[in-house]
Amino acid sequence: MNKYIGIAGTNSPSSTNKKLVEYIQRHFANEAEIEIISIAELPVFYKVPGRVLPERVSVISKKIAESDGVIISTPEYDHSAPAVLMNALEWLSYGSHPFVGKPVMVVGASYGTLGASRAQAHVRQILDSPELQARIMPSSEFLVDHSLGIFDENGNLNNDEKITRLNELFKDFETFVEISKNLNNTIKANKELAENYTWEDDEEGK
Amino acid sequence: MMKFVGIVGTIAEKSYNRKLLEYIVKHYTEIAEIEMLDIKDVPMFNASKDQTNSEVIQNLNNKILAADGVILVTPEHNHTTTAAMKSVLEWLSFNVHPFENKPVLIVGASYFSQGSSRAQLSLRQILDSPGVNALVMPGNEFLLGNVKEAFDDNGELKDERTAGFLGSVLEKFAKWVEVLKALNTKEKEETSWEDEDLTAAGAVDTTVRGVDPDADDWVELAAQKTKAAQKKEYVKLNSGLLTVDQLNWFLNSMPMELTYADDNNQFIYYNHTKPGKEMLAPREPEQTGSPISKVHPDRARDGVKKTIHALRTGETDLVKMPVPGNQINERYLMHYYKAMHDEEGNYRGVNEWVLDMWPIVKAYLEQTGQKLVKDENAQDVIASASKHEEAKVEENIETKVNTSEEPRLDEGIDSVTGASE
Repeated sequence: MNKYIGIAGTNSPSSTNKKLVEYIQRHFANEAEIEIISIAELPVFYKVPGRVLPERVSVISKKIAESDGVIISTPEYDHSAPAVLMNALEWLSYGSHPFVGKPVMVVGASYGTLGASRAQAHVRQILDSPELQARIMPSSEFLVDHSLGIFDENGNLNNDEKITRLNELFKDFETFVEISKNLNNTIKANKELAENYTWEDDEEGK
Repeated sequence: MMKFVGIVGTIAEKSYNRKLLEYIVKHYTEIAEIEMLDIKDVPMFNASKDQTNSEVIQNLNNKILAADGVILVTPEHNHTTTAAMKSVLEWLSFNVHPFENKPVLIVGASYFSQGSSRAQLSLRQILDSPGVNALVMPGNEFLLGNVKEAFDDNGELKDERTAGFLGSVLEKFAKWVEVLKALNTKEKEETSWEDEDLTAAGAVDTTVRGVDPDADDWVELAAQKTKAAQKKEYVKLNSGLLTVDQLNWFLNSMPMELTYADDNNQFIYYNHTKPGKEMLAPREPEQTGSPISKVHPDRARDGVKKTIHALRTGETDLVKMPVPGNQINERYLMHYYKAMHDEEGNYRGVNEWVLDMWPIVKAYLEQTGQKLVKDENAQDVIASASKHEEAKVEENIETKVNTSEEPRLDEGIDSVTGASE
């Protein structure tokens, strides 16, 4: 059974993206072991001198590194991913690089009709950057719109079409995780590239 | 002079992007006065834990609202702008929206050749979203690549062409800000100073209804009606906590006479310390609550209307007027009319203060060992308004915009009699 990490890109306890990740965890409990980790309490990112990471970051980084894949559910704020998610991804691409080559599935929920479509595109763009270099599952958009009304009292999706789509995507993701294990020719080089990639401020931050 | 604020999207102490903004602040003083805003203490945005009313968010909100334009300087992390920058924008698009229709210029620097190109694009997209709704300067992309080599030890850009290009971008931005003012002046064109209702016949959300504004004991009646805090009761202010008594002691010890006329043109407060006849601009407690029309002579009416209208529409933020009968080097009374605004930038009334400038100037001269010398070339000086009854006061309006519609305040000089009638 594969082990995945589930991340809701939020620090709001009432987020429907949190609900979505929790639902995915329960719904696929027989197929995979999904551990949900919170990114809520991380400090605002800056380049810590000597790349000494906050302990919480190291813990999350280790869990991701040891997992077979990551499922990220993103809300949309201002047509893009929330700062709190961007912040977590900044921490996880500085001093440690657990995302390099890691299979990632991106989903998202929003109150309105768009289902966090632009935030999902933004997260994909971020995960594709040289510092992160995740293996994002292609052509796999999962948009949960009108998310306030889509969960029943037990927190389960109440829309059959959405459930079918999610089941198919998850199966594909399991296959994608296997395929990704063979996509290993560039992993070493990519890891080095990520580690050597110096951001603005890096030198002076040291 | 145009006023901009600048924000660097990092909380790191040292940053090449901050260096870039410092360079801009220092070099384009001819174009605009630019204030750098600090985001170090901004908490991570949390929709479940609203901190819009915190000092740091309120300060950013007010500074941006008051600015003519904003310069955002973004580093690039992970092919996008930083979480530090995004968090600020989320706070400022949640319960307050200072970026609404605010002209924004994006610049950025990076280590390599990209010069923060992708961070700038993603920032544009964010600023374009309905919650932020900023007006982002089109074109004129300024990307500073290979930034480690870009500045010399004095923080000057080494490459002249780069510096020249940056200057031209700033210049165009300032012009563009000017052009955009047309977008926001619609209301202004639709109202005329003549519409200014000095009788306070309408009402605003703070107006105390059901109490006769002309009543001599309006303050008492209105206080009962609103169950107003009194004496030892505490009032929470945006950066402090005082009892009503303390507030009175504080305001009564101000070195000037203060008057509050609200956005409904109702005279609702002055710092009452002595009888009207001993004041620089006489006021009596019985006048408080009256509409502005009742506390000015009719002949001053148009001038007062023009002044208030200019403040209300944002044509100017401050009107300064010397009083007729000033005696040079003896007594120089000035009336200041300052527009007050709420957190959303809406006009909320006039803060009028009156003081005698001469003791301040005199003390300054004594302390610095200087004396005043007449400037033979000076023209249209309102040395003593008794000599220049018809003195033009237009020049005393600090207009932010040079429009031909600038209100003429020739007659305004009468309004300096204040609430004296």
